Amino acid sequence: MNNVKIKSKNLNVYYGEKQALFDVNLDLNEKEVTALIGPSGCGKSTFIRCINRMNDVIDICKVSGNIEIDGVEINDKNLDVVSLRERVGMVFQKPNPFPKSIYDNISYGPKIHGKGETKSELDEIVENSLKKAALWEEVKDRLDEPGTGLSGGQQQRLCIARAISVNPEVILMDEPCSALDPIATAKIEELIDELKKTYTIVIVTHSMAQAVRVSQKTGFFHLGKLIEVGKTEKIFKNPDNKMTQDYITGRFG
Amino acid sequence: MSNEHTVKSYEEELRYLIDSVIKMGSLTESQLVDSMDAVIKVDKDSIDKIIKSDDEINKFRSKIDTQIMTLLVKRAPMAIDLRETISSLKISQDLERIGDLSKSNAKKVKPLPLDLPEELLGNLKRLGDLVIKQLNDVLDSYVNKNYDKAKEVWEKDEQVDDLTYIAMESVIDFLSKDKKNLDFSTHLIFATKNLERAGDHITNIAESICFLIKGEYLKGSRPKGKVIQQ
Repeated sequence: MNNVKIKSKNLNVYYGEKQALFDVNLDLNEKEVTALIGPSGCGKSTFIRCINRMNDVIDICKVSGNIEIDGVEINDKNLDVVSLRERVGMVFQKPNPFPKSIYDNISYGPKIHGKGETKSELDEIVENSLKKAALWEEVKDRLDEPGTGLSGGQQQRLCIARAISVNPEVILMDEPCSALDPIATAKIEELIDELKKTYTIVIVTHSMAQAVRVSQKTGFFHLGKLIEVGKTEKIFKNPDNKMTQDYITGRFG
Repeated sequence: MSNEHTVKSYEEELRYLIDSVIKMGSLTESQLVDSMDAVIKVDKDSIDKIIKSDDEINKFRSKIDTQIMTLLVKRAPMAIDLRETISSLKISQDLERIGDLSKSNAKKVKPLPLDLPEELLGNLKRLGDLVIKQLNDVLDSYVNKNYDKAKEVWEKDEQVDDLTYIAMESVIDFLSKDKKNLDFSTHLIFATKNLERAGDHITNIAESICFLIKGEYLKGSRPKGKVIQQ
């Protein structure tokens, strides 16, 4: 078992009056993939959005409890959110490249974070990031073309490359394959497997099969509560909790 | 299973698979009873019927295989459904093997004389009755998802070993009395051994049922009775 990278303790999240997360205690291990599953609205996306404080942008959102990364509390008001998001990258459900060239999509992050001061340094970051995202071979001859001109699967890998470009420690993925076809999905999954050697990955997915394929640990959320968490193999073969079983076998509701 | 799947057709497919295994089990049990009966009564007229019933069992096995493959592809079963699917596959394999052994025993009736000694038949019958009871109990534990009962069957195989030993000894004793007995005694030795092997398949089924119910295999090695050195 790897070291704990992210630790949530009694995490509660409210959107106005509505409580979205209830006392979530969850440890995420370093250089491992953790999958979060559960029905829509169960709080799994809310949870990952806490890890890079994306919920800060929602006015009515209130967070209590703790989230520690490497033992350091990230909900601290004095913490620099920009540098937190440099360490914790995010990939969303729909690929959302900037309306810029492939090159600019990747170089944008390093530039604003003060990395890659010279053109050759930036070139190197762009090449490495695209290579790590398994996209380099497909785009190396058209780096000046718009990122939005790529196929869906390529755009998603571009977004992963963009996340990687600032050299994060954690990558959050919110249903990264739900808009992709099976081949593009397979490529992303293979990429996740490769990326976990370097990064701590948290993935929200509605596909059970995907959770089984890509993750080492799985957490099941329901109505804002973390119902069960454990080794992925155990969760899908023989979960302890009846609600987990009912959900993964399609007996819910 | 406590409550039903949201997708009704999935529920039906799984139910249909389990029903197929239960039907295959009851067919295998009748065939075992018939073949045992044929051996004890040296009833040569029933041989063909028993051999034919094995075809039925084999057909069930292929049908169950197809059902399982469809389920795996269509539904990608998880947790209890996955265990249910996998254990159906394993149980149907063991049932088919038991069917083969019953058929093999039925074939051995042909060369047997009608005047076999009572004691020998008695020992063989006791073994046969126990194996039949074991099969009945294990199928019962499958239908009722009864972990304790399946485990009991698993442990009781020790008695099958013991009765096999006794039956073997009486066949060997019979054989040593007169060399003329050599030919059909060999068949009786095989028939006895077949029953013991059927017992082993029944313990496999018990293991599959325990896995199905609790999600883990029975730990340790099961108790063993006396065995004839081979």
